[in-house]
Amino acid sequence: MLSLGWNVHGQNNPVTRDTTRRLAEVTVNAAAKKRIENDLKMTVSVDEYLASASNISFIKRGAYAWEPLLNNMSSERSTITIDGMHVFGACTDKMDPITSYVESNNLAAIDIKSGQEGNLHGATVAGSIDLKRRNTAFGLQKKIGGAYQTGFEFNNKQTFNLGNLYYSSDKFVADGSIAFRKAGNYYDGNDDEVRHSQYNKFNASLGLAYKTSPLSAVRVDAIFDRAKDVGFPALPMDLSLSRAIITSAAYKQLFEEGLVKVWDTKVYFNAVEHYMDDTTRPENLVHMDMPGWSTTYGLLSKINLQKDRYSSEIQVNAYDNLSIAEMRMYPQDRSKQTMFAYSWPWVTTRFASVAMNNALDLSDISRLVFGGSLGLNYNYSKYVEFNWIFHPGSPQKKNRFLPSLHASYQLNIGQFDFSLGTGFGHRAPSVSEAYGYYIYNSFDRYDYIGNPDLKNEVSYEANASAGFKTGKLSIGAKANYFFIQDYIIGRILSLGSPMNYQSVGVKGYTSLDHATLFNLALNAQYQILPGLDWKAVLTYARGQDNMGGNLPFIRPLSYQTSLHYRYKMIGVQTSMNGDFSQVNFSPEYGEDQTASYKIWNVSADYTFTIGKLNAVFQVGAENLFNEYYSTYADWGNIPRMGRNIFTSLKINF
Amino acid sequence: MRDLFIKKVVFYSAIISFLLIACTKEKTDYEAERGNTVAENTEFKEVTSLVSSGYSIRIEALGGVLYRGYNDIRVIINKQQNNEPVAVSSVKLLPVQTNVQGMKIVCPHQSEMDYTLDGRYFSGYSVFTDESSAAVNWSLEIDFTVGGQTFTATQHVTVKPQVNKNRNLTTFTGKDGEQYLIALIAPWKPTVSENKLVAGIYKLDAAQLSYTTVNGYTLQLDPRMPEPSMGNHSSPNNKDLVQQADGLYHGVVNYTMTGNWTLNFILVNQNGRVIAGTEVPKDFTPGVEGRKSELYIDILF
Ligand SMILES: [Cu+2]
Repeated sequence: MLSLGWNVHGQNNPVTRDTTRRLAEVTVNAAAKKRIENDLKMTVSVDEYLASASNISFIKRGAYAWEPLLNNMSSERSTITIDGMHVFGACTDKMDPITSYVESNNLAAIDIKSGQEGNLHGATVAGSIDLKRRNTAFGLQKKIGGAYQTGFEFNNKQTFNLGNLYYSSDKFVADGSIAFRKAGNYYDGNDDEVRHSQYNKFNASLGLAYKTSPLSAVRVDAIFDRAKDVGFPALPMDLSLSRAIITSAAYKQLFEEGLVKVWDTKVYFNAVEHYMDDTTRPENLVHMDMPGWSTTYGLLSKINLQKDRYSSEIQVNAYDNLSIAEMRMYPQDRSKQTMFAYSWPWVTTRFASVAMNNALDLSDISRLVFGGSLGLNYNYSKYVEFNWIFHPGSPQKKNRFLPSLHASYQLNIGQFDFSLGTGFGHRAPSVSEAYGYYIYNSFDRYDYIGNPDLKNEVSYEANASAGFKTGKLSIGAKANYFFIQDYIIGRILSLGSPMNYQSVGVKGYTSLDHATLFNLALNAQYQILPGLDWKAVLTYARGQDNMGGNLPFIRPLSYQTSLHYRYKMIGVQTSMNGDFSQVNFSPEYGEDQTASYKIWNVSADYTFTIGKLNAVFQVGAENLFNEYYSTYADWGNIPRMGRNIFTSLKINF
Repeated sequence: MRDLFIKKVVFYSAIISFLLIACTKEKTDYEAERGNTVAENTEFKEVTSLVSSGYSIRIEALGGVLYRGYNDIRVIINKQQNNEPVAVSSVKLLPVQTNVQGMKIVCPHQSEMDYTLDGRYFSGYSVFTDESSAAVNWSLEIDFTVGGQTFTATQHVTVKPQVNKNRNLTTFTGKDGEQYLIALIAPWKPTVSENKLVAGIYKLDAAQLSYTTVNGYTLQLDPRMPEPSMGNHSSPNNKDLVQQADGLYHGVVNYTMTGNWTLNFILVNQNGRVIAGTEVPKDFTPGVEGRKSELYIDILF
C-alpha cells in the first residue's frame, strides 16, 4: 500500500466494532498487505519501490542510498520516519537518508502524505514519508511462515539474499528478517564502468510482541543496519562504514467502549554512525577524515477516537537528537599538525509536538478532513564559537514554535471524486541549514555555512484532485501549489574563503523572500482485457524563487507507463519511463540542462510450487536498449546504469 | 510461554547493549584537541629572587619561566628579616639586554608597575627581544620606593626560547628607516572561533637605545593558512588592530580550524602611509603554499 498523500481515506481508517479482529488489524497488519514491489520487479530495494510513487523523485549520488524528494522538495522539508520514529542521518553530505537504514523485507508499507496532512509525526513543508515495519498478527492459523528471496543482477553483479520469518501464537509473535546485498561497480549505457559505485549492505530486524490482555499488547523492535565499502561516484569520497541501531518498545491498548478506541505509546532510541573514506581516491589533494554520529531518543503516544461520523487521531511526539560531524584535514607533510573543525558542532535538537487530525463524514458523499499541530523546536550548539565565525553573536540556544493547520473537503458523486484542500505550516531549519560549518556540496562546488538566526520556513499550500472510475478504467489528476515564505537556500557569501580544496567559494544558508512550487500528476489505469492492464503517470512540476528564477532539483515533465499481462502462472510486464528535456534548470544552483531520455524495461515471471512451497522466478531487463543517460537529479551528471539483466527467485513458506 | 518470552527479551537486550557500546571510532576530545600544542601555563611562579637593602624581592612569571616575546611579570617585595609585607609606594621595572659588544638596549616593557591590592604584588610586562645566549645577556633592574626612599636592585635573568607560537614576535626596519618590533600578546591559547587579538607595537629609539610604544598606527590583518592543501584559506569578520587606552593594539582574528596560520600584516602610520608589509593574494589556490606578506607572524594551535 503506497498510500499517496491526497488519498485521505487511508489516514483515518474507520475503526471496526469487533475489537479482537481489530487488534489483529491494527497492531499487526502484515499478511493482507500488498508486498513491497514495483511494476517491474518483485524484489526491489526501498529506493526502487519509492520511485514508483508519482510525487517522489530522487537525488542520486551513486547506486546506493538515494535521497528522496517529496513534491520536488529536498529531504529537510519532509519528515521521514520509521513507524513514526525520528531517525536522523549522520552524514553532512546526505549519504544516508533514513530510507537507507531499512530493507524491503522488513517493511510492510510506505505511507506518503503530501504537505501539512503529513504533520502527525512532526513539522513539515513537503509532507511525510513513514516507513511501516512488518508486524505479524497474533494467532495466525499458520504459526510459522516466511519468505526467502535471492537474485542476481548482471550489470553490477549484485547478489542479494533476503529472508524473513515469523512465529505467531495467540499470545506471542516474533518477526525477524535478515538481508544481504553486495554489488560491484555498475556500467553505463556506453558500457563504461562507473568507478566507485559498489556497495555492500547488511540489514537485520527483530520484533517481539506479547499480548498482555485480550485488549493490550507490548512490542519491542530493533533494526540493525550496516553498509560497508559504499562508493559514491558523484562525491569526492566514499563510505567506509555506516551503522545504525534502531530500537523501540511499544504498548498498545484497545478499548471496546467509549470515544477512545486505541491508545498506542512507544519509546525509542536510535544511534547512527557514519565514517567516510577518501583513501579510495588517491587523486585527492587532501586526505580528510569525516566521521559523523547521530543519536536520538524519542517518545510518541497516539490515541484514536471515533464516534458516529467523526474519527480522529491525536498524537504527542517528543525527541532529542544530538548530531556531531567532524572534519580533520591532513597536511601534505604528515609530520605536521592536522587541522580540525566540526562541520556539525555538537548540535542538539529537541522537539515536542501535539498533532490532531480529524475526519468528519458530512454526508454519505462528502467528508471533511481537518487538523493541526503545534510543535516546539529547541536547538543548542555546544561549540557555538564555530557558528560565531560567520554569525558573530548568534544565540547558542534557539526556540521556535512550529504551528500547522490543514483542511480538505472530499466529495464523491457516483463515479467521480473530487477533493480540495489547503494548509499552512512552519518548519525549523535543519542542523546543516542552521549550524552547518563548511559542508562541501560537490554539486555546485561550494562550502555551505549554516545560519542559526534563519527564520522558520512558512508554507501555504493548496491542493486539489479529481478522479473518475469505472470497473475497467480509472483516471485521476492531482495538483498542489506551495507558496513558501522565507524559503531556505544557499546563496554565495562575499565573506570567507573555501576550506575544501575542490570548492570554488562559500555559500551561506539564507532565506529567499519566498518561493513557489507547483506539482501536477495525471494518472490512468485501464484493463484492456482480463489479465492485461495498462497504467500511466505523467508528472509536471515548476519551482521558482521570488525573482522568477528556477529552483534546483525540480523534475522536468516526466512519464511512466506500463503494461501487465498475466496468464495462469505466467506474468509478463513491460514499462517505459523517461523525462523530457529539462527546460527550467537553475545554473545559479549548479544545474546544467539535462537532455531527455527514455528507458524501456521488460520482465517475466513464473509461479510454481516445490512440494508445499510456493515459488516465483523472475527474469527481466532494465534499460533494455542500453541508453546512456543521466537525469536532472544525478549529482555531478553521473551516468545511470546501462542495460541490467536481473533474475530473482522468491520462495514463500 | 511467558518464561520463553522473558528469556528472549533478555537475550535481545543483551545484543542491543553490546551493539550500542561498540562505537567504531572515538569522537575527538575537542577540549584536548585545542590544547594540543599550547601548554597550560596559567600559574605565576617564582623566576628568581634577590635581597637588596634589607628587602627581599621576588620576581614571578607564568610557569616561573621568562620566554622570548611578551611576558607578564609580577614583583613582590617584603622585609628581609621576617618576610612581612611592606608599604611599597611604587615599583619601576627596567629590562636591559647587554650584547657581546657591551651595548645595552632596553626592550619594550611597562615601566611603572601596577599595584594589585588582593595579591599585594606589582604587575607589569616585558617583551624580551631575544633569548639568552653567549652573546645576549638579560637583567632586570627594579627601582622601588618605600617611605619616600627609592632603592635599586638588579638581577640577571635567563630568557628561554618561545615555545608558544601565539606569543611570537617579529622585528623589522620600516620604510621610514626606523626599527620596529611587533609582539603578539593574546590569545595565549586560540580557539576555532572569533579571538581577540592583542599585540604590542614598538619602535627602537636609536639615541636612547630603548624601545618605545608606537602610537596611533593601524596594523592591518589578513590571516591565512599557509599549508598548500588549504589553498590560501582565510577567514571572515577579522578586524584590523588599532591602539586602545592601554597602549596596546587590539583587533579580532577568526580561526576557522586548528592548525598552522599566518597572520599577514600591513603596518600603516597615522598618516595612512605603509610602514611595512605587502598585500597577499586573496584567491583560493589549492595545492600552492600561501604567499606571505613581507610582515607576518606564524602561529599554531
Ligand atoms: Cu557521508
